[in-house]
Amino acid sequence: MAARGHVHDPNDRRLRPIYDYLDNGNNKMAIQQADKLLKKHKDLHCAKVLKAIGLQRMGKQDEAFTLSQEVATLEPTDENSLQALTILYREMHRPELVIKLYEAAVRKVPTSEEYHSHLFMAYARVGEYKKMQQAGMALYKIVPKNPYYFWSVMSLVMQAISAQDEKLSQTMFLPLAERMVEKMVKEEKIDAEAEVQLYFMILERLGKYEEALDLLRGQLGEKLTSELQSRENKCMVLYRRLECWPECNALSFKLLLKNPDDWQFYLSYFESLFHLIDQGWTPPEGEHCVEGEVHSSVEQAISFVEERITAEDGKDSRPLRGPYLARLELIKRLRERGCPEEQQLGEPLELMSQFFVKFGSKPCCITDLKIFLDLLNPDQYVQFINRLMEAVPLGAPENNGVALPGDTRALQRHLCVSQITRLLGLHHMLDAAGKLSVIRELKSHYHNGLQFGDENMLWQCLGILEEGLSHSPSNAQFKLLLLLLFCQLGAFEPVVDLYSSLDAKHVQHDTIGYLLTRYAESLGQFAAASQSCNFSLRFFHSNQKDTSEYIIQAYKYGAFEKIPEFIAFRNRLNQSLHFAQVRTERMLLDLFLEADISSPLEDSVKSMSLCPEEDDISWDNMRDNRDLTVLTSWDPKYRQLTAEHRQRSLEEEALWLRVRSLTLRLVGALASISHPPSTHNSEKTTENGVVPKASTLQHLLSQLESTLSQASQFTEKHTQPYPFFGPPSTRLAQALASGSCQCQLSAFQLTTLLLELEIAGLDMPPCVSEKRQHWYPNALLLFLEILSKCKGDLLEVKDGQCKAQPSLLERLVFFVETTSVVLWVSGYCGGVLRPLKSSLQKKKKKKKETTVALPEVFTGFQEYTSSLQTLLSQSLDHIKGQEVSLTALKLADLSLEGQNSEEGTFTKAAMDKVQSSYLRSLQEVGELLRKRMDTMKALKI
Amino acid sequence: MTTLRAFTCDDLFKFNNINLDPLTETYGIPFYLQYLAHWPEYFIVAEAPGGELMGYIMGKAEGLVPKEEWHGHVTALSVAPEFRRLGLAAKLMEMLEEISERKDAFFVDLFVRVSNQVAVNMYKQLGYSVYRTVIEYYSASNGEPDEDAYDMRKALSRDTEKKSIIPLPHPVRPEDIE
Repeated sequence: MAARGHVHDPNDRRLRPIYDYLDNGNNKMAIQQADKLLKKHKDLHCAKVLKAIGLQRMGKQDEAFTLSQEVATLEPTDENSLQALTILYREMHRPELVIKLYEAAVRKVPTSEEYHSHLFMAYARVGEYKKMQQAGMALYKIVPKNPYYFWSVMSLVMQAISAQDEKLSQTMFLPLAERMVEKMVKEEKIDAEAEVQLYFMILERLGKYEEALDLLRGQLGEKLTSELQSRENKCMVLYRRLECWPECNALSFKLLLKNPDDWQFYLSYFESLFHLIDQGWTPPEGEHCVEGEVHSSVEQAISFVEERITAEDGKDSRPLRGPYLARLELIKRLRERGCPEEQQLGEPLELMSQFFVKFGSKPCCITDLKIFLDLLNPDQYVQFINRLMEAVPLGAPENNGVALPGDTRALQRHLCVSQITRLLGLHHMLDAAGKLSVIRELKSHYHNGLQFGDENMLWQCLGILEEGLSHSPSNAQFKLLLLLLFCQLGAFEPVVDLYSSLDAKHVQHDTIGYLLTRYAESLGQFAAASQSCNFSLRFFHSNQKDTSEYIIQAYKYGAFEKIPEFIAFRNRLNQSLHFAQVRTERMLLDLFLEADISSPLEDSVKSMSLCPEEDDISWDNMRDNRDLTVLTSWDPKYRQLTAEHRQRSLEEEALWLRVRSLTLRLVGALASISHPPSTHNSEKTTENGVVPKASTLQHLLSQLESTLSQASQFTEKHTQPYPFFGPPSTRLAQALASGSCQCQLSAFQLTTLLLELEIAGLDMPPCVSEKRQHWYPNALLLFLEILSKCKGDLLEVKDGQCKAQPSLLERLVFFVETTSVVLWVSGYCGGVLRPLKSSLQKKKKKKKETTVALPEVFTGFQEYTSSLQTLLSQSLDHIKGQEVSLTALKLADLSLEGQNSEEGTFTKAAMDKVQSSYLRSLQEVGELLRKRMDTMKALKI
Repeated sequence: MTTLRAFTCDDLFKFNNINLDPLTETYGIPFYLQYLAHWPEYFIVAEAPGGELMGYIMGKAEGLVPKEEWHGHVTALSVAPEFRRLGLAAKLMEMLEEISERKDAFFVDLFVRVSNQVAVNMYKQLGYSVYRTVIEYYSASNGEPDEDAYDMRKALSRDTEKKSIIPLPHPVRPEDIE
């Protein structure tokens, strides 16, 4: 409270009730109280600002802003006003105004430590690194405290990190930062750990690794104590970078003696060992190196590993897995180098079996062995599995011939063997009957385990999983698998509850939100789709503000290493693929559901401040934050997710996003050239800047064309699906196959034809009008094609089996989306044609012509819209028919082969969920189509 | 068979395996950033050789030295299902205690649901004892009070007489704890 003259400021007492009202969310009373106070004390600026906060929170942004500026122009220096304005600006998302505020304050009170420090933080919030550097120094001059000096140094480092020009960082910012620190070192003023950390960061970024090592090993390095093994870890990184293999080896050795389970040091131990062997390194006289003893031969490594194992074997406490796995790792590396010494360590099959005997009852046994299975020859697989099975205690076979484990540990062992069997591909080598018998066997194992704790197959899976979930209601893998299967069956309704029971929040929206957003809209559950987009969007929007606050905190606590990390994190979220997708899809969805239904298209576009000229997606830096391994998979290598799959999936997502984003912007462009219904005036058009807007439209259209051709090349090239547990494919292939892309493209093309008409009037060259006359029948054909691809039964019972065709549902959704686009374009056409027609009729009246046939330009459009109307009624009839037959479907009577009655109950329950979900989707799609059809009244010309 | 290292922001994108567990809370970004900014040394993650995250611990140091309340606190400790029964939680706790020793703290404490018997027993095995019960410390997502917590403590070497862990005779309310 240094800035305040006296402790008991009477204004504090006066303002208190307003603060209280604001804290309690009673904005109305806060405003009233502020007004009351201002009547008596005109100059109590803070009351004005508090009133503005109340207004802002009540959604009256403009009033709030005006009021706040009345105070801001006075450049206040009282703490209350400054704080209140800071809060207000933060809520307005206007961090740059906080800067102005404190720049003025320090001008007026140049010696205030507090205001200078606020100014520094205000710059930090928006990342003004240069200004931060100066502000830090200004602070240090007022109050020579070390942290201020180092804030300034860190801001130089940030200028280096963010500089576009790497040369500038290396020759200017970083050397300057280094000199600033060196000055403090010389004056022996370094006193905090954070300062040494920062010095280290600078040297590392300058590539001065030797100097960095000296720092760590010297006196200043002793200050690095908070983090465990901080010095050792940092030395290790530098040894590897400098290729100081003797030191790297000796340090790894030392750390492994301390903790023989720390895997990273086995890796650096082996890596350095082989480098030393390749270099023919021999120990010098005396000490090996500063870090101590160095190993430089295979013999030493073998005996080191074996000693670790002997120590582990002789121990009474819980054995560690590290030494045993290190032996396998050493074999792997020796084999890669073609060293015959690997045989001294033993036969991998034997060693892995021993490992299984020791650790087979641990759930992680499988992830441990997984990375060493390549050491086996394929002809050893069966033998290996048999060896493992010897170590699985099973009881006597039951009636069905399956022998079952007797306790949890035995169960875990059996599970591990099954997982390895699958990983080795032995399940996939079986024929259908063999696979079914494995399923039967595993099912009896599953049912037994509970005491401790094709299309038809798909239904069965759902049944088993539902049953599993009923026994283990918090098993995330059951939920994720169910979710995946339901989505693949086109049933989104049950997914909503499953996902919400996972309780995914915050950053998880970014990592697994795709599971929802990929399917909700495409399966016709629009309300759920809106909601899932909103969940994600809310998270992303709060990110920007939140992370900025913690960048400031990191400065305050001297966690300098975290500052670039936080900034990278913020960028990673801002550039998230999923963020761009939900942003785009949310707007499209709003338009599909509302534009021209609850408000005119132009208004909808305006209210979402959609700017067709602007592309807000950072295509080149897109980050794929999806967690594609959230589902556990034990499939063999050739069925696992690879880096190419990830790459292809990202490419596909980006292509589809581009299609969607261009569609959205085209709709925006369409709205910008449309005439508000009130001013049907053809004369006004040219002066309103239709021409530049038309060029935007033309530009977007050609982009869409080329993206679609890229897209079809992509889908032709990649016909192989992703692994089952991998990323879901996008809607792209379906969009192309259903014909909806082509139909929407052609709709937008009509817009440009009409634009020409609008600009040239009725006396345009015949070739243009001819193009237009051909356009209508073609477009109708395209539209009809989508509808015809929707025909068929979503769910039917055939030969006692339940068959689903979820792709029909996806196509119906494409149909309704395309309907929206086609009708928006028609709306624009109507808007162009209507005034032309009425002026033509006026002219005719003047000339007293008897009404002869209308020109084709009008009749063509009229015929087109009436055909559209017919097609839409047909589609509604189809949907109605589907609803009726779905409701009539009696799944309860199905007999389910190969399932007992309890399993059958779960399978049937799953079928019911699918049936009910289809019905709901049909209702939502049907309702939207009906609303769209209602908008056709406005198309009359 | 574990790599122990500092938790970084990027790990937030990879921790689903651990956090989809119903007893593990996923907090908002600010919460994690606060810990990373203020107590980075107390936020440690264990990584398997295949790159999967196995578990993590998140903690802080707080309390007044003159009142002998300066202590290490365990905010979150969680291990993914497939990496349980390996002693990983014990290892992470040991590290947190060592960091607290270096900071010259008097004790380490943590809160645990009274119903989470597995966890309570594990902490007891690690040398922790119930210092007090905090009534309705946990609340459900609707804000309703859900469950009581045990405040469990372990004295560090600075507290030679182990004064910090003498159990309180009566339970306390959440608003009464600092």
